[in-house]
Amino acid sequence: MTREELTRKLTEHLGKALPAMSTAGNMLLVKIKAEDLPTLAGYVFNQLGARLITTVGTDRTPLTGNYEVSYLFSFDRADLFLSLKVEIDPANPVIESVTPVIPGADWAEREVRDLIGVVPKNHPDPRRLVLADDWPEELYPLRKDFPYDYKPPQATVAGPRMKKAPEQATVMTVGPFFPTLEEPAYFRLFVEGERIVGSDYRGFYSHRGIEKLADTVLDYNKITFLAERICGICGFVHSCCYCQAVEAAAEIEVPARAKYIRTIMLELERLHSHLLWLGLAGHIIGFDTVLMQSWRIREQLMWLTEQITGNRKTYGMNLVGGVRRDIPEKLQPKIKEVLAKVESESRQVVEAIAGDTTLLMRLQNVGYLSAADARSFCVVGPTARASGVDIDSRRDHPYAAYPDLQFTVPVYNEGDTWARTLVRLDELFVSIDLVRQALGRLPGGPIMAENTEVPPEREGLAVVEAPRGECCHYVLTGTDRPERWRVRASTYPQLQAAPSMFANQTVADAPIIIGSIDPCFSCTERMETVDVESGKLRVYTREELLKAGRAGCKGGDSRA
Amino acid sequence: MFISKWKEALICLKAGRVTLPYPFVPRPTAEGFRGQPEVDGRRCIGCGECATVCPPRLITLVDDGDSRALKVDYSRCTYCARCADVCPEKAIRLGNNYELATSQKEDLTMTVNLKMANCSLCGKPFAPERLLRKTGEKLTGGEFGQEAPEWLSWCPECRKTKQAKALGGVEAKDHV
Amino acid sequence: MLKLIFIAVINLAVTLALAPLLDGFMRRIKAVVHSRQGPPLLQTYYDLFKLFGKEDMEGAGGVIFRLAPVVCLGSVLLAALFTPMGGPAPLGFGGDLFLLVYLLSIPGIAIMLGAMSCGSPYAMLGASREMMLVLTVEPILLITLFTAGIKADSLVLADLSGWTLTHGWSISAVIAGLALFLSLQSELAKLPFDIAEAETEIMEGPFVEYSGPKLALFKWALYAKMVIYISLFLEVFLPWPKTGILAADLLSNLVKVFIVIGLVELIELVNPRLRIDQALNYFKGVAVLALVGLAFALMGL
Repeated sequence: MTREELTRKLTEHLGKALPAMSTAGNMLLVKIKAEDLPTLAGYVFNQLGARLITTVGTDRTPLTGNYEVSYLFSFDRADLFLSLKVEIDPANPVIESVTPVIPGADWAEREVRDLIGVVPKNHPDPRRLVLADDWPEELYPLRKDFPYDYKPPQATVAGPRMKKAPEQATVMTVGPFFPTLEEPAYFRLFVEGERIVGSDYRGFYSHRGIEKLADTVLDYNKITFLAERICGICGFVHSCCYCQAVEAAAEIEVPARAKYIRTIMLELERLHSHLLWLGLAGHIIGFDTVLMQSWRIREQLMWLTEQITGNRKTYGMNLVGGVRRDIPEKLQPKIKEVLAKVESESRQVVEAIAGDTTLLMRLQNVGYLSAADARSFCVVGPTARASGVDIDSRRDHPYAAYPDLQFTVPVYNEGDTWARTLVRLDELFVSIDLVRQALGRLPGGPIMAENTEVPPEREGLAVVEAPRGECCHYVLTGTDRPERWRVRASTYPQLQAAPSMFANQTVADAPIIIGSIDPCFSCTERMETVDVESGKLRVYTREELLKAGRAGCKGGDSRA
Repeated sequence: MFISKWKEALICLKAGRVTLPYPFVPRPTAEGFRGQPEVDGRRCIGCGECATVCPPRLITLVDDGDSRALKVDYSRCTYCARCADVCPEKAIRLGNNYELATSQKEDLTMTVNLKMANCSLCGKPFAPERLLRKTGEKLTGGEFGQEAPEWLSWCPECRKTKQAKALGGVEAKDHV
Repeated sequence: MLKLIFIAVINLAVTLALAPLLDGFMRRIKAVVHSRQGPPLLQTYYDLFKLFGKEDMEGAGGVIFRLAPVVCLGSVLLAALFTPMGGPAPLGFGGDLFLLVYLLSIPGIAIMLGAMSCGSPYAMLGASREMMLVLTVEPILLITLFTAGIKADSLVLADLSGWTLTHGWSISAVIAGLALFLSLQSELAKLPFDIAEAETEIMEGPFVEYSGPKLALFKWALYAKMVIYISLFLEVFLPWPKTGILAADLLSNLVKVFIVIGLVELIELVNPRLRIDQALNYFKGVAVLALVGLAFALMGL
């Protein structure tokens, strides 16, 4: 579908001319009336087959006097983005919810409500999503008149509003702290015996408001490093995606060599992430040999990236306009050597576990996600590809050096945990090949664009295929820093699909089902590991901690 | 199935033991590793470029009378090495030390104190002596001749006033 | 009489003092297969020592919660007196086979009761899984020992061992021994059947509320159980070599225990944890196998 075709179809469907329209790169920006949103969104999603990426709420009151909510769609096969933008009067901040039409819009709309205060009317699940339970009502942190360092008074008692368990079902909690979840997340499973009959989720415990920090304190290049720290596993994806969003908005031409270096780093990151996932998946089902062996293989990649970038994980390579470090000629044989080793050793592990019937017993027909559900929850990445939804932003919205490289996108139709495993295992070898191709064609020249000026009031959207699926950054530029920066990590849609994967499974399967989407909670919640200096530092003594812990034990609901 | 199990158990034969006897034997870092930031106080000229680019904003400049303090609190450091990139004097580098755990948060701070130069006109301290000397060195030999230009020792306010006077304007009001 | 007291002391010492070494041995094997350094051989002793040194928390449950670990370890130690470990059993008498099976089921029951008394949902789920496993696996133990008993025409453990020594393997003994070996993994709470504990699913299940010395007692009891189960299996189905010299027999039994525990660990290392329904299906199969063995024994084979 071309831009013109899309415009024609939208106009035809609406029966009247579109109020305002513009383009930014491969994004079509359409300003529409609030009352037209559900019908247009439904049409784009259901008839035109677009996928909802996320929504972005922006407080534009200083400039236009209104709030804006953009619904971002992707036409994956056409490399086309569509932004349906609605202006909302602050006097009556209500918008008709599209979640009844697009289930995948659930969290995104609740997030806009929490942070900007635009209430989605007729939303099926209007509970709080992002903000802490003790955060005061009517206090919306992403509004421009809200100071970034404001600390609301501490509430005395607050617990999450959770769904009521069905009769006769007992509640099993997975989280907020749980051995197989490396980050805080709170799943409540309603179980009868061992069978799960329902579930509820409360997350966003790691939400630290980095988007607010970005549009109040930092500057364009500082955000690159903040973005990298959104995730401890796919940090480079985030910094790269952010830079690409700014570069798209400012129309900065990145030198070819920088693009190739980004590609190499992205694929090395995918390699380490998939191996990490394989190990974790093994650990979750008690198979520690897989854990240790795949992490052993992964370790070589970590040491390699330390040689390339100066750090084993947070590479710190990106800046708006290019990369900071070159890959010197003398390192290339080393990279090739490690790749060869990783390839043969991964092959060995994959061959060993592929025929393991006990392993298959735990993974096959577990956590089934149908293609229809995958689409309606707008699931991305290996989770989508294991359910027969053939999307991959490297191919569908080519960026960096991917247009020059040849690769296949593994797709499976089974939709279970084993299929998700197979997709990732196949991708290991695709990634190894991609790094080799990129190294072979590495062009010369500079690694940083000459002009990296960012003009204000431009919109940019970038997607990068993270190991867990498509990661998306949206930037509306301002002076010195973005006016709005929105991050949508790949786990955001996947977690919304988790309840449908839990259906009819047992408690024993729950951890591996959660694990199978390769969840990254901090990504989803946009955590910042470094707190803004509060000036005050409270140090708890051992006794105080013990006391607090025991008070919690006694008052806790362990007997409930 | 049994072949599979057998293969799984035997992966270790080829791999051998890979974990290191850390912490008893330290692990060397790669070339260009970004570890603990080290500030060479003898080279720092107090220009504050590092403070402007630091993403976690942990480098601060505090002017107090005739001294300027460059404070680094690397308990919040993200080891991006942006400071090292931009430092004109190469006074900051990220070293090889990565074992930074401590029970004293003060161990993770560092302060460089620089003597401020006084304005040759009004006598107020306005910039680190070293910064002026370095700037002077860079400016000599070119269009400015062998001597550092005179205005280098004037504080910004005096410079403004002088300029205004030279242009025939009135004296800036806020300058006493 | 003196000899029996001596053997009793040896049995208790082996079960109590040597059991953590078995665990340490398993951890060394695990480290090798995992390609890592691994803990020292004596690490399990250090761990127990550390646990005993910790504060004894009252915990969530009442009297049952506090007594369960003691009962668990106590019953295991009592069982040690009825188990031949190379030499004759210190307290062997007619029908001791049944008594031993009873004693061996007490640890499981103690764990279940302790878990249920604390009220944590993880512990509850762990207890119910433990119950299902005990109900399926203990009968297999009983059937296999009974099979051997029929052949030997006695329900005294010493006779069972003696019969195998003199007559060698019969078809029924081979089948029963195989069935017992196949259920050993579950008796020892090892993967793929550590379902009741399942650290990554239900956070050690029954033990979730236990800490410090109480947890240490439980852990110690489980290590000790390994010695008893494996010795029992070896004495009844693989009693060779028997020299008649007590010291040599005790030593050979120990060596065999280490070999079996090594095998058990290798199986643990190449398997993920099964779901409880999958495990029960598996044990139904093993139970059928055990019954076939019994049938052969009844036919005199």
